[in-house]
Amino acid sequence: MSTEQKKYLKNLKLTKLKIFVCQSIIIISFLILWEVLVNKGILSSFIYSSPSNVVKTIIELINNNNFFIHIYITLKEVLIAFILGMSLGFLIALILYEFKFISKVVDPFLTMLNSLPKVALGPLIIIIGGANTKSIIIMALLINLIVSIISIYNGFQCTDEYRLKLMQTMQSSRWQILRILVIPSSYRTIIASGKLCIAQTLIGVIMGEFLVSKQGIGYLIVYGKQVFNLNYVMTGIIILAIISYLLYKLITLLEKKLLKHL
Amino acid sequence: MNNLLEIKNLTKNYHTKEGEIEAIKDCNLKVSKGEIIALVGPSGCGKSTLLSIISELDKDYQGEVIKSDNLKIAYMLQSDALFPWLTIYENAILGLKVQKMLTKENLEYVDYLLKFYNLDEFKNKYPKSLSGGMKQRVALIRTLALKPDLLLLDEPFSALDQQARLVISDDVYKIIKKEKKTVILVTHNIEEAITFADRVIVLTKRPSYIKNIVEIKMDNNDSIYERRKDKNYFKYFDIIWKDLDI
Repeated sequence: MSTEQKKYLKNLKLTKLKIFVCQSIIIISFLILWEVLVNKGILSSFIYSSPSNVVKTIIELINNNNFFIHIYITLKEVLIAFILGMSLGFLIALILYEFKFISKVVDPFLTMLNSLPKVALGPLIIIIGGANTKSIIIMALLINLIVSIISIYNGFQCTDEYRLKLMQTMQSSRWQILRILVIPSSYRTIIASGKLCIAQTLIGVIMGEFLVSKQGIGYLIVYGKQVFNLNYVMTGIIILAIISYLLYKLITLLEKKLLKHL
Repeated sequence: MNNLLEIKNLTKNYHTKEGEIEAIKDCNLKVSKGEIIALVGPSGCGKSTLLSIISELDKDYQGEVIKSDNLKIAYMLQSDALFPWLTIYENAILGLKVQKMLTKENLEYVDYLLKFYNLDEFKNKYPKSLSGGMKQRVALIRTLALKPDLLLLDEPFSALDQQARLVISDDVYKIIKKEKKTVILVTHNIEEAITFADRVIVLTKRPSYIKNIVEIKMDNNDSIYERRKDKNYFKYFDIIWKDLDI
């Protein structure tokens, strides 16, 4: 390896390290600033809690055997709603792509549902579905499904026209065109829609947990509000932030694996 | 029957919201085995439409298209249209896979073609690691793998830069000659038409009809380089250019 190449690689590593250091400094100084402001009484510890209080709350929750249950419940709901939302979205997008007539018919309804604030349907869902996990998942589905349908459908429609023509000149069946060309060429959009969908699912699940739940992070936040213990609220928010980041990272990892050649 | 394909009184109209467009008007054409035909004409004159009709992509026309029995047609497009998520080899056998013809014999033929075109070492690589010219070669192999009787080439070189275009078009010319394929080549490039074809068919603007059929006779048919050097090259060029009347 030439010295220039070594230098170049070293530089790359150095930049990466610098970025990481900066990110760490931001987080650490934010936490310190928060702690100090609360300690000095500039911010009310009652309302804003503090990093040390959050840690204490987490330890307390762990001791009560509640911490992991809340995370587990929310993660379970998110995963179920995410998988359902993506697979239903994929299937419906496929139907819309294959049957142009259906797609034209339902187009205005999709647009309407897309812009409707789904939260407005919350009370209705609870009355119909009952105060249970099912309602939470339905809430999340309502929010993520439209997004996944529309984005995956758009991906299918962007299939390269030369490649489509090529498949037609080879006398491929419609199913072959879908399986060999349209679906693989939409991997990138499907992953992108997964990223959108995970964010939407989290919104839906937390909304649902706000409305009906006995456990979960959304419950923790609502409970904290009701008993005026804002340490719970802050803890919930921080756990949520970490969960959303990790889930997003997971999809990015998947993306790197799946899209190596695109 | 020596005729692979005969087109009789072909007329094609397009229907759009704005009205009816006459694309092709009363076109008659015979293609015999082993012949290379070039279609030239102003852009948008319905050259590609004609290919779509021949290959049955487009069945909405008036007139007759008579084909010899079991005529196998394969298409090569302007874009290489390789699938980036498939390896070179998987791309090359795509047509065979779609038509469920992955026999040992056919696969050996693909192997032979890949070797012949020096693409053997790229077999398991992905298209993004190839140059434009090499990609077009893979597209040609994908087409030839189907062992077609009639090859339809729709501006197959127009996406390549000039140098790649010279090399690839010579490759294609040689293999067509060697395998004695029948070819219909659509191009807007007069030079390409003359150096490739036995007959150049000049179409007019829309509604297009056949204005002239120019028989190309050359002394040395070994390669397109030789054909370009022929003493009659500029004479043919002149005739076609005048007929095109752009």
